[in-house]
Amino acid sequence: MSTAPGSHRASESQTHDDLVTQIAAALPEWLPTQRWFGGKDRAITAVRPLAATDLPAGDDVLLLHLVVEVEQGDRREPYQLLIGHRDDQVPDVPASASIPLADGPAVYEASGDADLTCHLLDLVAGSATVDGLRFAPEPGAELESGLRGHPISTEQSNTSIVYGGQYILKLFRKLTPGTNKDLVLHRALREVQSEHIADPLGSISGELGEESVTFGMLQRFMPDAADGWVMATTSVRDYMADPSGLPPEDLGGDFSGEAYRLGRAVADVHADLAQALGTREADADELAETVTAMVDRLERVAADVPELAQHVDGLGAAFRAVADVPPPVTAQSVHGDLHLGQVLRTLQGWLLLDFEGEPAASAAERSTLRSPLRDVAGMLRSFDYAAQQLLVGQGDDDHDQAERADAWARHNRAAFCDGYAKVAGRDPRDDAVLLRAFELDKAVYEVAYEHANRPDWLLVPLSSIRRLMTEGS
Amino acid sequence: MTTQHEDTAPDHALEGLEDTPHTGESVEADGTLVEPQADDFAHAEQAPSDPEWFKRAVFYEVLVRAFADSDGDGTGDLRGLADKLDYLEWLGVDCLWLPPFYASPLRDGGYDISDFRAVLPEFGTVDDFVHLLEEAHSRGIRVITDLVLNHTSDAHPWFQASRQDPDGPYGDFYVWSDDDSAYSDARIIFVDTESSNWTYDPVRGQFFWHRFFSHQPDLNFENPAVREAMLDILRFWLDLGIDGFRLDAVPYLFEEEGTNCENLPRTHEYLREVRATIDREFPGRVLLAEANQWPADVVEYFGDPAVGGDECHMAFHFPLMPRIFMAVRRESRFPISEILAQTPPIPDGTQWGIFLRNHDELTLEMVTDDERDYMYREYAKDPRMKANIGIRRRLAPLLENDRNQLELFTAMLLSLPGSPVLYYGDEIGMGDNIWLGDRDAVRTPMQWSPDRNAGFSRSDPGRVYLPPIMDPTYGYEAINVESQQGSSASLLNWTRRMIAVRKEHPAFAEGEFVDLGGSNPSVLAYERRLVREDGELDVVLCVNNLSRFPQPVELNLADHEGRTPVELTGRVRFPRVGELPYLLTLPGHGFYWFQLAETDDEGERRSMA
Repeated sequence: MSTAPGSHRASESQTHDDLVTQIAAALPEWLPTQRWFGGKDRAITAVRPLAATDLPAGDDVLLLHLVVEVEQGDRREPYQLLIGHRDDQVPDVPASASIPLADGPAVYEASGDADLTCHLLDLVAGSATVDGLRFAPEPGAELESGLRGHPISTEQSNTSIVYGGQYILKLFRKLTPGTNKDLVLHRALREVQSEHIADPLGSISGELGEESVTFGMLQRFMPDAADGWVMATTSVRDYMADPSGLPPEDLGGDFSGEAYRLGRAVADVHADLAQALGTREADADELAETVTAMVDRLERVAADVPELAQHVDGLGAAFRAVADVPPPVTAQSVHGDLHLGQVLRTLQGWLLLDFEGEPAASAAERSTLRSPLRDVAGMLRSFDYAAQQLLVGQGDDDHDQAERADAWARHNRAAFCDGYAKVAGRDPRDDAVLLRAFELDKAVYEVAYEHANRPDWLLVPLSSIRRLMTEGS
Repeated sequence: MTTQHEDTAPDHALEGLEDTPHTGESVEADGTLVEPQADDFAHAEQAPSDPEWFKRAVFYEVLVRAFADSDGDGTGDLRGLADKLDYLEWLGVDCLWLPPFYASPLRDGGYDISDFRAVLPEFGTVDDFVHLLEEAHSRGIRVITDLVLNHTSDAHPWFQASRQDPDGPYGDFYVWSDDDSAYSDARIIFVDTESSNWTYDPVRGQFFWHRFFSHQPDLNFENPAVREAMLDILRFWLDLGIDGFRLDAVPYLFEEEGTNCENLPRTHEYLREVRATIDREFPGRVLLAEANQWPADVVEYFGDPAVGGDECHMAFHFPLMPRIFMAVRRESRFPISEILAQTPPIPDGTQWGIFLRNHDELTLEMVTDDERDYMYREYAKDPRMKANIGIRRRLAPLLENDRNQLELFTAMLLSLPGSPVLYYGDEIGMGDNIWLGDRDAVRTPMQWSPDRNAGFSRSDPGRVYLPPIMDPTYGYEAINVESQQGSSASLLNWTRRMIAVRKEHPAFAEGEFVDLGGSNPSVLAYERRLVREDGELDVVLCVNNLSRFPQPVELNLADHEGRTPVELTGRVRFPRVGELPYLLTLPGHGFYWFQLAETDDEGERRSMA
């Protein structure tokens, strides 16, 4: 474990060792209160500091980069924290950021403290190395330093800080060994000049044990953008409130033009990823493994969620049909967790964000080559969610509203596929067996998630499964 | 001078001008037509000098025919308009834009001009126009009108002389050819009525060139005499006191083989010559380009940015209007934000003109393939938007007479970059009469009062040029100036108040436009920033809810930390801007205008009061 850098006074390093120990002791209580903490399902049995780096942040303040290992029974996962402390002032951060120590100074999670986070950008801009932490701009990136940063409030599993409306620094909370997939794919897409990404501008990296690790990624921030979920639900809201009974394409809030352009953008990104990182043909074993994974998930979820029971046979058949899909089945790098919340409408068009893949998937799973139809299926599922979110909590007796939601989803799913087909040269709906299986697999995953977290929302994936099963039979 | 036989006299096709001075009233021995001169008439005093008045002006498009009838013949006229200037001054109008009032056979709404130096008799005389100018200028109101440089009516004495005497002084005033093969790359603009840009004239035995209707021959700008003759027409009206021209159909002045004959370098060269003449002889008068094209192409008509622009002072921003409608229909700011992001900066000495409604509607012919695709996909396939392209509607019926939307649209018109152009009657929410057809639906008489003929004319109702609107919602008994002036909550009084607020803050007119973006796509928020002459930064913040539902928005106002938003219509002070995003909530179709004021000491302010 590294502590204070050599440039600091020797007396401080002892202080930091004590401090780090105290913080680690406080974290088992504190971590579960943080939105980004991914291990809320189990009790924390221990937290051990792995590395602490004192970052230069001026007099009378402390900015400590801390990596800890969180132990939850047999699970051990590394997490990244920024610790702040001020000698004489109270920082302007929410109370929930404060980490109460049994006997020590007032410390807090510092990603919300603009006076401290501004140093992270300056370190990247200055290509600094502090102990084992490497701050580096991407080749050719000219960064403006001295901007103040504010975290965005909507993020789930990581923490992102926006600097002066120009840059966004994503700090990965749960760390995975190796260069982060998000950064890898962004760099690859940048290399082939993809028009549908926010350019990567810098990174923070280091070592975790024997392996290199990505702590953060700096990207261009789009202050003019709105995310796809908000755009789509704006249209749904307009449509559901319209008294005329007209179809969605005849209403002012029609989203299909955007859905079409979004389909084009996703197909463009798939083509860019194929160009940058190649494609290959999936073999029969791989298809068989895919079937097994989907069927296993189905059985696991069906055991927990009785509402799924009536569909288990049909779903199983849909999944097993994948084994018989005639070659070639193309596999390539894909986004991996694509939905409307992962796309941004800017004045120049649609961008895709967050190429990390599904947060719950393991790193090995996330970096395997997958079918672009997975991403298409993810977007199609997302259109269903956008259409149905207003029905949640309204009781399930309003068939008119449910039908209207369906009509909206159908219209925009079709427009998305049209746009995708226009660029890809092949309509994803022509790969019906695969697309349907991926969509259903995603829906089964959603059933599990909603059952555990938001029972009110369970009707959304269940009604989709019902519809897909009917359409398919 | 000679007198020619009546039906071959060059002025034989002019109607109703026998007793008034007009072009070709007599002919010199060499065939030159005698034309009225400015010195034959009185000249109006100029409005107070203000070289850049057009950058801040609120324009008001008014059809002479439709506004007020002074002589009881059922048709509006220049004297009637002059009688209503007190109203326009009260409303806050700075400049009237009059579509053509020249002598014309009216086969193209008066854009087919048969004598540039005479007024259409039913509107009055040149003297009546000078009277209007005099009265307007005394109230600080300026007047501009349309001028068609590209072509004339075939009834114009120049054309009559040209077809009859190819070797005379006008023989080369138009573009004549022995066949119809030249300039084949030029598209036909009015494809519905014209099959060629050439038409055979049996009198001269040659084809003449016309980019518009076959009764509107194009002038031959290759001929120096034509270029000078058109400059003289500008001088004629400028001498009388007019404040400027909207130059109609400017992209088409010159032709060149192998090109599409639009926006040619020589056309720009001639515009620079026109501009130089104005600057030299009539400083403070303006030229407004009518070029219904994409903003990136229209900016060419402002001329060289290095000298602040050396062609037209103003040009209409055509694509903004349908984008405003689309944005509110979509409840999304992107249609507006996109088009403004695609609008290049314009030279220092120039300004856009923006509008919600006028007699020109968007046509999709002018845009690039990508944009046309976008517009069709987003706009033209929506049945209600289609109606907006084809049939001409007024603002209020387009917005289903929804007061909240009328206010939102007007607030955007008055705060987006450019000088706003109001269309007569929209300030009281007048309706239209679609049964009158495309052209006339939005040209019904101004509704002044609940009296006979809406107070527009004292004539027999049967003589009025078009019936006033009489339906229960928009009819003149419900919607008229008189009753709205008397009601403090009326749209008219609201509009007047907003115009006054706009004028208190030059940032609305000349400030830099900064789109604030933000995560809520239904909210369009922007700043207008102007560094005033005293060096202080004047910042106006405009926040518009394009959705019919209430919306929250978090604005990044970090640049203005410590300032206090002061709402401009009621002077209410909102919470001070801090480092974090500034939270506002807006009612459905609501909007705010704020000044971001330096925070002074509130206590001191109160004790001083």
